[in-house]
Amino acid sequence: MIFTETKRYYVERRMFERMEATGAGTFASYFARLRSDANAEIEQFINALTVNETYFYREDHQLRCLTSDLLKERLKTNAQGQSIRIWSVPCSTGEEPYSIAIWLLENWPEVDNHDIEIIGSDIDTRVMEAARAGIFGKRALMRLSPELIAKYFTDLGDDRWRILDDLRGSVRFSQVNLIEPGGPGLHGKFDVIFCRNVLIYFDDASRRMAAENLFENLAPGGFLCLGHSESMSRISPLFDVCRYNDAIIYRRPLDTRNA
Amino acid sequence: MPEGPKVRALVVDDAGLVRAYYRDILERHNYQVDEALNGLEAMEKLLQDRFDFVIVDVNMPQMDGISFLKVLRRQSLPLASIPAIVISTEAEAHDSAGARAAGANHYLVKPLREDGLVQYAALLSGRPA
Amino acid sequence: MPLIRKDPVGASPPSTPSSSAGDLQASSAETRWNAARRLAKDPESVAALGRALGQEDDPRVREALFTSLAYIQSPQAIATILPHIRSDDASIRAGALDALATVPDAVEKSVPTLLSDPDPDVRILICDVVRRLPGPLATQYLCDLLTVETHPNVCGAAVEALSEVGNETALPVLAQCADRFASEPFLVFSISMASKRVAGNGRPVGSQAV
Repeated sequence: MIFTETKRYYVERRMFERMEATGAGTFASYFARLRSDANAEIEQFINALTVNETYFYREDHQLRCLTSDLLKERLKTNAQGQSIRIWSVPCSTGEEPYSIAIWLLENWPEVDNHDIEIIGSDIDTRVMEAARAGIFGKRALMRLSPELIAKYFTDLGDDRWRILDDLRGSVRFSQVNLIEPGGPGLHGKFDVIFCRNVLIYFDDASRRMAAENLFENLAPGGFLCLGHSESMSRISPLFDVCRYNDAIIYRRPLDTRNA
Repeated sequence: MPEGPKVRALVVDDAGLVRAYYRDILERHNYQVDEALNGLEAMEKLLQDRFDFVIVDVNMPQMDGISFLKVLRRQSLPLASIPAIVISTEAEAHDSAGARAAGANHYLVKPLREDGLVQYAALLSGRPA
Repeated sequence: MPLIRKDPVGASPPSTPSSSAGDLQASSAETRWNAARRLAKDPESVAALGRALGQEDDPRVREALFTSLAYIQSPQAIATILPHIRSDDASIRAGALDALATVPDAVEKSVPTLLSDPDPDVRILICDVVRRLPGPLATQYLCDLLTVETHPNVCGAAVEALSEVGNETALPVLAQCADRFASEPFLVFSISMASKRVAGNGRPVGSQAV
């Protein structure tokens, strides 16, 4: 990675966030932590620096987990004919919700037996406009095979591709503020929520609020996927932690007492 | 004595210096040590890796040691049966009784000394002290 | 195509159901949880949230009550959370402390009283809130405590907090504490580690190239 002088502010901000997250009071103590790689801090720091980079099929081990384990679990408790609801928040420019759609169409044998509703939300309405437009550059598609690109995208030339109208029309986008107290319960309960690489940006109080909001938007027994290097363990005790192949996933417990 | 695989301990305490103290002692006695900051982080580690015993504090953020033990003992075997020492600042009888009821094998009161820790670690891992 | 899209009917999305303080007493935990969360926006609800906290036995609802009180942040809200750090139930202590730890500035006014609480366990727990205050202020509180503290576990908690946020002004107090507790191996160990860290904590951020 090469940082120009204009990126200096960006790097500094990310570093202060990591200092805050690790409880390092000063640069010196944070630097010592980086040097000793305590709690895999190097990776966390790199993730913080690259968090805005998003692309199709990012962290696909979670998508694999979705089709191999999570949906199976949900079908056990969902009523017959009930649609499967998946929320991507924050969805940024749409790579994640569209990835989920493509992944399901390609990899879930049961995909034709269920109605699947995918919603993407973000606090930033500009990125959601881009998500609705569905036009992507080369970098965003780097993890997709030429076959998948040919199947789901139209080549616009100039290294730009537009996702098929069928897919664009099937994902709903809506604005949401994850840290609004008591919100955002506007979308009903989801079976699976993808909420990756955003909690690191919040302060402690906001993180707690976000955790409660996510909990409330999950159906009992529903799953929450955080980013690869993120953990709920220092944020909130509300969720159960579940181990599946290649992935730690958080779950809203099934048995809410007196509910 | 032949070098077998090391006995693995998971130290669960929100205080970094406490973890460092236990680690220092245990590593000098040839244990392999990993750390977690609270009960939730401990559960994450236990679900991903094998440990021979856990040492756990009571007062910790997000998930306290007692709640952690209750969750741990509800897991499937063999994870649920992993031995646990609770080491707490809470010295009253009901604290110790509560920890044992939740599934602690031993309850020790802080501050802890090296010989105490080593003795109980050996007891739980079936090694000579 | 199995993918479906259900757009909300009408122009505006359905509004969040409003909750009243009475819902905190509902028999359904879901209703109580919702009420606890919605009332975060209503500073007048502190007394009702506090009453509910005293009776609530569902850990998740209790968590939401703590979060909402911490969100409100008023002195009454903080005073409503504080007694719960003395609970016999470790999970309630943790819940109260987690909530307080998210709003250290709002707790600061109570810190001097709490650090001289007769119960050593309260003093230990409060060190964790002090740790989140700005470094120089935290260092001052922790040094004041450490100078007079007689309980080794409280000293341990203060040393822990100092090792994270303290600056080199804490070094003499740490040394004096090590002398007083020379027969406590844990304190000797942790003060030696904390002193090393604190000594490196004085340099201003950015004074060094990566």
